[in-house]
Parts: sequence; structure tokens; C-alpha cells
Amino acid sequence: MGSGRRIMIGAAPDEADVWQALVAEHGTPLLVFDPAVLERQYHRLSNALPGVELHYAVKAHPNEHIVRTLDALGCGFDVASAGEMDLLMDLKISGRRTIHTHPIKKDREIRDALRFGATTFVVDNLDELAKLVPYRERIGILLRISFRSESATVDLSRKFGCAIGEVAGIVAAAGKLGLHIKGLSFHAGSQCEHAGQHVEAIARCRQLMVDIGKSTSVPLSTLDIGGGFPADYRLTGIDIDAWCGPLRKALADLPGDWHLLAEPGRYLVAPSVTSITTVTGKSERHGVTWYYLDDGIYGSYSGQIFDHTVYPLQILKTGETRRSILAGPTCDSIDIIAEDVQLPELGIGDLVIGHQMGAYTAATKTRFNSLPDARLVCRESPS
Amino acid sequence: MKHFKETLYDSLYQEFRIDKLYFESRTDHQHLMIFHNARLGRVMTLDGIVQTTEADEFIYHEMMSHVPLLAHGQVRHVLIIGGGDGAMLREVLHHPVAQVTQVEIDQAVIEMARQYLPNHSAGAYDDPRLQLIIADGMNFVRDTDDRFDVIICDSTDPIGPGEVLFSEDFYAQAKRCLAPGGILVTQNGVPFLQPDELNTTAQRMGPHFIDSSFYCAPVPTYYGGHMAFGWGTDNRTLRHVELPVLQARFEKSGLQTRYYNPAIHQAAFALPQYMLESLAGRD
Repeated sequence: MGSGRRIMIGAAPDEADVWQALVAEHGTPLLVFDPAVLERQYHRLSNALPGVELHYAVKAHPNEHIVRTLDALGCGFDVASAGEMDLLMDLKISGRRTIHTHPIKKDREIRDALRFGATTFVVDNLDELAKLVPYRERIGILLRISFRSESATVDLSRKFGCAIGEVAGIVAAAGKLGLHIKGLSFHAGSQCEHAGQHVEAIARCRQLMVDIGKSTSVPLSTLDIGGGFPADYRLTGIDIDAWCGPLRKALADLPGDWHLLAEPGRYLVAPSVTSITTVTGKSERHGVTWYYLDDGIYGSYSGQIFDHTVYPLQILKTGETRRSILAGPTCDSIDIIAEDVQLPELGIGDLVIGHQMGAYTAATKTRFNSLPDARLVCRESPS
Repeated sequence: MKHFKETLYDSLYQEFRIDKLYFESRTDHQHLMIFHNARLGRVMTLDGIVQTTEADEFIYHEMMSHVPLLAHGQVRHVLIIGGGDGAMLREVLHHPVAQVTQVEIDQAVIEMARQYLPNHSAGAYDDPRLQLIIADGMNFVRDTDDRFDVIICDSTDPIGPGEVLFSEDFYAQAKRCLAPGGILVTQNGVPFLQPDELNTTAQRMGPHFIDSSFYCAPVPTYYGGHMAFGWGTDNRTLRHVELPVLQARFEKSGLQTRYYNPAIHQAAFALPQYMLESLAGRD
């Protein structure tokens, strides 16, 4: 999707005023979180997936304002580390609505999760299953299955997940160990263009769970459909209700007493955070104008490397455009946000706005060059 | 939060309405709450698990103190490990003991409980017979030269701060600081839902005592039926003290109880068949 970057030149005066006012108050680099957008996304997705308990994938953006906003909406949480649980504990959020989904865990991590109150764990192999035996009286286990994804940007089934053929054996082994496998989980990928992979995975899980249910005394009844719900990085207006249509149809075929979970991250938070960075220097080099910004790929734009995502950019100025490069603040030559883009001439102090920057942006920032982090500020909720 | 939902088990939980939140702290990976519930009075929870409630704490504390003390009959020096809420101390001090040593790892728990659960200690911390030591219970039993007639291990659950109090090393060291004929009692969870805890304790405690067993009492807010208490001593007769003897000791003590009586005391050592089978089937 590298070619799909949207660049918007110019802004409505009142829109520009909002960004300028935030910068006047807080400086840059800045991330602006809008709770109203997150609330809207949550409602859209929960309406599109009735009967599915949403668990926000905290890794997408482990930020207290974001977590607080989702907690107030009754959203659950998907955590993968002690640090993520600490964030929830600091906000006094009960582990009861949290699932621990990292397939590989240290014993310490399992104990921390139990003390936090998360009792659902994910495994994908027998070694991992064995680690849970001391805690078998307290926990429920989801077995993660691998479905390789063609359409997703990030294939999450390469690193984790057991093969379909292994499922029955692992469930039987768990039974012998006195462990309760309560269902299956899968990750169809991240930023999926369509729900085809999900639909296929649901159908296969359904068959597996029904078949295994027939042969064991403990039925499998929880299905975690993971994430993959897309963010609108091209600003084409993704209709999540339409996107989820085939998924709803597939879920409707499942027995009514099954528990359905999903782990959305990107879809929920991507549009709720906007990056603002300032031009701090410029230079003409080989006929191209270089602009050096105070945030870059070692900071908020780290998702361009780790998440293979390019974000829609906006320049507040208008005017005749020229070949330009937007570079980040570090000394590294890899720190370039956008190359060969046509921009109006910018001056030092001008702003560059990055949209859809809530997911896997600040989450993967580094400390390189000991540069300051972009600060996250919360916009007043209109409600 | 308007409700407390226990996080002890994945597939079932009890939920209490929080009618008034008195205290909540989150420090060092530990989440402590004290709140009021219309039916249960004040409730203390730690890491999502009910620790004690005003309504039913008497069952737990009477059974963990009066059973070993009246079985022994001549207790002079008692060691309480944990028990920062003060209710175990309160019950022990109803006996004519010479000294009670309480080892609690966290002074803050005692202060917090005195303020927000005052009926638990009911002034017990002012008793001159108390020697209060703020220390790790494991280190204390390893290092002390004192000998005790009864040791009461009023611990939290095995996953959490009280973890070491379920280790084999702890049982060995506790045994070391019992006077001849002394008794160790421990809280041991709810075997109907936590059979592993019962079996693990039996395995770890058994080798260190001539007589190691369990006795039971149902504590309603320790959801799941009977709670088991571990019992370890080198005097086999103490588990079978005759009813008239218990009756005489009980009357002489002048104890006012709401759960304990000598018949309950004797009966508590009779274990339900599911516990016996679980213990017999262990590796």
C-alpha cells in the first residue's frame, strides 16, 4: 500500500485554527486524541458486530486517555504483557473484562495476570499448555489457530498459531492435564481489505469446535475472532458495517450459546489520534526541498517501518507545489516520512498534520537520539 | 466501579454490589479495596479476591484460633503469621495466653484495617500481650529462637504476597519453631473448587509432621463450599480430643462464639468423601 498515501494541501480556516491553537498551547511534536472519534468507532464496530464482546488490543496504543474512554463505554481489553496490565491496574480497571492473549508467556507473567484478574489465556502448543497446569483451577484457555492470510498487510499467522490438524490432539492433551480449553482464537491478519479470511476461519473453527464438542465431555464454546478491522488510511470512507456484513452472516451460523470475542485495536484508535509536527529546518538539495520535522519514523511515524503503514498527511498552506521530502529529526538517513511528494513551499514553523495516527504509532516509538516524545493531549469531548 | 466481580475463576464468579467504597489502593502490583455491602457489611478484597467480610469473618477466625488452642489446652505462646486485619489476634487474645507474636509483612495493612475494618481487631492491637513484628513470615520462622505452642498461618492465596507460606520450606521452618506438642494451622482454600491446593499442601506439609491433616468450615464468601484448614502436629491425640474435655475447656474459657462449639470442633475433622478421595488419589 506504499503508493496509497493521501496528501491534502490546505485546510478550512477553522480547522487550521484548531491545530494552531493546540500547538500554541502545547508545542510540538504533538499527538491529539479525540475521544469523540474513539467513541464513534466503538459504537460503529459494536453495532456492526452484535453479540460480539469487544476487547481493545491495548498494544495498539497503550495510553491512559484511550483506555479510560473505552472503559467508560464498557469495552473489554486484550493485553499481552505485564506492562499493559499495569496500565489498566493504574486506572483501577478490573481484570474481569480482560483477556491475556500472548501465546508465549513466562511463569511470572501468568501469575501477574492472575493477580490482575485476567483468567483467559491463549496457547498454541503443548509446551505452553504445560506452563498453565499449576493454575488450571482458575483459568480458561483459548487455543490459537493459524490461518495464513493473503489479503492482510501484516500476516499474524506466521509467528503464532497451531495448524488445524493439531487442534484435536492439543484439546485432548489439555483434558488429560486437567486444563480447560474453552474455545478457539484466530488472527486473520491486520488491516484486512475484506472479511473473507475471517469468514473462512469462522466456518473452519465452527466445524472443529462442533466436532470436538461431540467427542469430549467439555464443549468448546468460545470463539475469539481476533482483529483485522481496517483503518481508513486512504481516507476513502470505509463502511465498517458493510465490511462486517459477511462476518455477521458467518457468526449467525454459530450456535446461539457460544461466546464471541474480538480484539480490535487499529479500527478503534487509528482515526482518533492526529499527529502535529513542525518544520524545524529546510534545505535545497539536488533540486528537491528537504523539510526537517520534529517528529519522524523513530517517533510517532514508527508505524511506517514496523506497521508498514503510510499515513494521510495534511499541509495547512496552499500554493504552487514542488518536489519535496519530509524528514524526521534524528541523524539517521532512514528517518524520512515522505519522499518525492509535491508540496507547497513551507517555512520554518509551519505544521505538518498526520491523520489516522492512533494505532501502532506512539506504541512503537523509540528513544533514538534521546529526542523528546510527542506529547499526547486529549481534546475536550463535546458531550 | 459500582460492583465487585471476583476474578478467582474463569468460568464462574461472585459479584458484590459496592454500596460505599471506603478505601482503594493500587501499589506494587497489589490492588486492595474495602467497601460496604448491604448484606455483608464491610468487605476487603485483594487482587480481585474476597479476603474477609464483617458478616462471616467469625467462622474463619473462630475456627482457625479456637480449634488449635482448645485442642492443645495449655497454650502460652501463639504465633500468628499474616492476619493484618486483626481478627485472628482478637480471637486468640480471648484465651488466657501469655504472649501472642504476630508477624505481618505490611504495617500499612494493619493501619488500613484498624481504620476501615475496626470491628475486626476490636482493640486487639492495644493488648499488652501482643508482640507485633513487621517482617516476612518466612524469614521470621527461619530465624527465630522462640518456640510456640500454636502457629496460625493466616495467609493470602498461593498466588500473591502469601506465596512462600505455601512452600515446603515454610512448613519445615514452622515445624522447627513449634514447642513439643505444638500445632500449625494454615488456611488452605476451598477444596471443592481448588483440589490442587489441598493436595499440594498435603504433599508439602505431610513429611514434616507425625500427624498432618485438614479440618473444615464453610465460609460463605469463600465461594465454593467448605474451606479447608491445614493441621500439622507431632501429637496424634490432639486431633481426637474427647468431647467432654473440649466442653470443659470451652466452658472454662468463657468464649462467646457464633460458629465454634465443641461438637463443631470434633466434627470439623471429618472430611467429605470428595476431599478424602482427592487426597488419596494424589501422586
